[in-house]
Amino acid sequence: MADRVRVRGISIHRPIIYGNTAVVLTQQEREALRREGKESHTHRWTVAVRSAASKPDSGIVGGADDISTYIKRVNFKLHETYPTPNRVVDAPGPFEITETGWGEFDVFIRITFIPESGEKPHSFYHHLKLHPWNETNEPEIPPLEEAIRAGPVHAWQYDEVVFNEPYNNFLQTLTAHPPTPLPLIKRRPAPYHSAHTASLPDTKMPGTPEYNQLMIEDEAERLRNATAAINADSERTKALTAAKEKELLFLKRKFGEV
Amino acid sequence: MTSVLSGPSVQHGSKLNVRDHDGLYGLIGPSAPSMVAQLRKPRQKEDGVTKWEWKKFSNSARKDSLRLCHWAKSNENSNAYQFSKYNKHPPEYSYNDEEYGRLLEDPEWTRDETDYLFSVVKNYDQRWHVIYDRYYYNSGRERTVEDLKDRFCHACRRLVKDRITDPEARKKALEPYQFDKDRELTRKRYLSNLDGRAPREIEEEEALFLEIKRLEQNERKFKRDREELLRTLAGIESGLPDIVEDELPLSLFDSSKNNKRKRGTADAESPISTPIPPSATLSALGTTKRTAPVNPKIPPEDPIQCIRHIELSPTTPATKAAHQPSFLRTFKLPNPKTSTHVRLVSTLQEVGLTYNRLVMPTEGNVALLHTAVDAATALIEHRKALEKVEADIAALKEKHGVEGDVASEMGMEEYGHGRSLSVATSARSARNKRGRSLSASSADTVPQQKRKR
Repeated sequence: MADRVRVRGISIHRPIIYGNTAVVLTQQEREALRREGKESHTHRWTVAVRSAASKPDSGIVGGADDISTYIKRVNFKLHETYPTPNRVVDAPGPFEITETGWGEFDVFIRITFIPESGEKPHSFYHHLKLHPWNETNEPEIPPLEEAIRAGPVHAWQYDEVVFNEPYNNFLQTLTAHPPTPLPLIKRRPAPYHSAHTASLPDTKMPGTPEYNQLMIEDEAERLRNATAAINADSERTKALTAAKEKELLFLKRKFGEV
Repeated sequence: MTSVLSGPSVQHGSKLNVRDHDGLYGLIGPSAPSMVAQLRKPRQKEDGVTKWEWKKFSNSARKDSLRLCHWAKSNENSNAYQFSKYNKHPPEYSYNDEEYGRLLEDPEWTRDETDYLFSVVKNYDQRWHVIYDRYYYNSGRERTVEDLKDRFCHACRRLVKDRITDPEARKKALEPYQFDKDRELTRKRYLSNLDGRAPREIEEEEALFLEIKRLEQNERKFKRDREELLRTLAGIESGLPDIVEDELPLSLFDSSKNNKRKRGTADAESPISTPIPPSATLSALGTTKRTAPVNPKIPPEDPIQCIRHIELSPTTPATKAAHQPSFLRTFKLPNPKTSTHVRLVSTLQEVGLTYNRLVMPTEGNVALLHTAVDAATALIEHRKALEKVEADIAALKEKHGVEGDVASEMGMEEYGHGRSLSVATSARSARNKRGRSLSASSADTVPQQKRKR
C-alpha cells in the first residue's frame, strides 16, 4: 500500500498527559535566586507534555514512552513577565520547561505533529499549579513550612490524541511504538484532578503519582451513578409535575375557568 | 414526417415573434436548434433496398447432379457456395503388406478386419458413432466405439511416425490421432455414474461437501483467532506472518442456497442431517460471509495499539476534505448552550460532575459524560415544567384571593414530604389520617403509586 494513502475505517489514539509539578524552594535556593534579582520566587516548577504511563520507580509522572515519535515540537507560552515567554521544545524532547516563580498562571501549550501525520497543531492550556490542592479548588497559599511538609504539587491532565484514518506511513510509525499500557492496579497514588475531589487524600500520600487503569473504570462508575441519580430526579420531578397539574386543573374547575 | 419538415420553420417563426426581446432570445442560446437535428430525415441508401432471390447453387461436396436452391442477394453474382470451404477431408492413410507386417501387427486384430475398419472410417469421414453403428465385421469379438477408434488412431500414429521424419511436421500430423482409450473409458464411466446416482446419494454428497466447507471455515476462523490472540499478547512486532485469507468460492454460497431449498424436503432421509443441522451450517456460513470481506489492509482492533474501528459514513467520499482531523479527547467534552449554562452547572454540581472536566477522558468516559449532561438537560426541562405549573397555581390563587392554606384544605400539604396527593377535604383527611390512601379517590392513587416507586 502506498504511503500517502489513508487507512480507512480506523482511528488510533495515543494517551498523553500534560501538566506540571511544583516544589517549594529551599532557603539556600531562594538565597541564590535573590542574588539573581528573583527574590520573590518561591517555587520551582516543571510544565511538560508526556506519555501517560510512568516508568517503574521513576520520580516523574508519566513519560514511559517517547512521544517524539509522532510529536515534532511543543510550544509553551509562559506568562509575559518571563523572559522569552514563548518557549519551543523540538523533538526528541523531553517536552518540558523548568522555571522558578511565585505565581500560578495559564500556560498555553501547542503540540505540533510530525509532518507525515498531515495533521494540524493542537493548542490548549494548563493552569500552572503551585500550591497544594484543597477541597474548594480555590488557590490557597499555605505557610512555607507547611508547603515544604506537603511535598511536591502535581497537576496533570490525562488526554488522548486521536488520529482518524491516518496515512499508512504515519500508522506504521505509530504502531512501531505502541504505548506502554497503564498499570492494571494502583501501585502509587492517583494524580489528583479537580473533577474528582474525593481523591484528595491521595495528594497527602507519599510517592510520585501514577495513572492507572482503575481510574478509568472508577470515573465511568461515577458518571453512571451520577446519570442514574439525575434520571431518578427527573422521574420524581415528572411525577410531581403531573400531580401539580391535577391540582391546577382542580383549581381551575373550582374557579370555573375551564 | 410533416413535423420533421416543418420543424425549422416553426423555429424560425418563434424567432420572429420574440424579435423585440433580443436579450431574451439570446438566453435560449445554442441549445434551441437541437430539435432540428433530432428530427432529421432518416438516411437511406441511394441504390434502394437489396433484393433477395431464390437461386440454384452448386455444392462442390456433391458428386451427384442434384441442384438445390437457397436465398441469395440478387446483386451477388458469384456462384461459389459459401460453405464449401468447410468441406475438408482428413488425410487418408493406407499401408502395404510390408508396412502392416512391420508396424501394425496386433494380436487383437486381423489384417482383414483392419482393412475393413479403414474403409469404414474413410466412408464415414471419421464420424465415430456412425462408424460404430455401421461396423459389421464378424470377427467373433464385440468392438466398442473406443476399440475402433483406438485401433485406427494407433495405426495412423505408427504410420505417421514411420513416414514423417521432420519433428515439426510429424507433431502436427500426429495431432488428430491422439487418443487415450483408458482415459476415455474412465470419463464415460464417471459420467454414467454421475447420471445414475439416486436422489438420496445426491443429497448425501452435497451434505458432505457442505460439511467439508464448514470444517475448512472453522479452521480458517481458528487460525485467524489464534493470530489475533498472538498479536494481542506479543504485539505487532512479534513477526507473525499475515494470514492470507483464501477467497471463499462463490459457488459455496450458491450451493448452500440450493441446498437449503432441497434440504427442506429430503432432510429426513439424509444420513448426514443429524451431525449438521441446516441452521447450524447456514449460520456458520453466515458468520464467515460477514467476516470474509474485511480488507486485510485494515489492521484489526487492538487495545495495545489503541486502534479502533470507526464507522464510515457511506455517503462521505474518500476525499481529503472529508477527513476528520485529529483531536484531543478533551476537545470533545460537552459544550452546552449558554442559555441553560448556569442551571446545568448547578444541576451537575448536585451529583458531583463538571460538564467540561474529566479525570480520564477516554472515549467511553466522554460518551458517559455526554449522557449525563443530556440527562441533566432533560432534568432542567422537567424542573422548568414543574415551576411553570406551580407558578400557574400561585397566580390562580392570587387572582381569586385564595389564601395559601387552601392547599392544605385540599389535602396538598403533603407535597413537601412527597407522599399522598389526596384531594379530599382537610376535614376528611384529618378525620381519617391512617386510612388516607384508602379514602382517597381512585384518580389520586395513581400519582401516589408512582411516587412511591
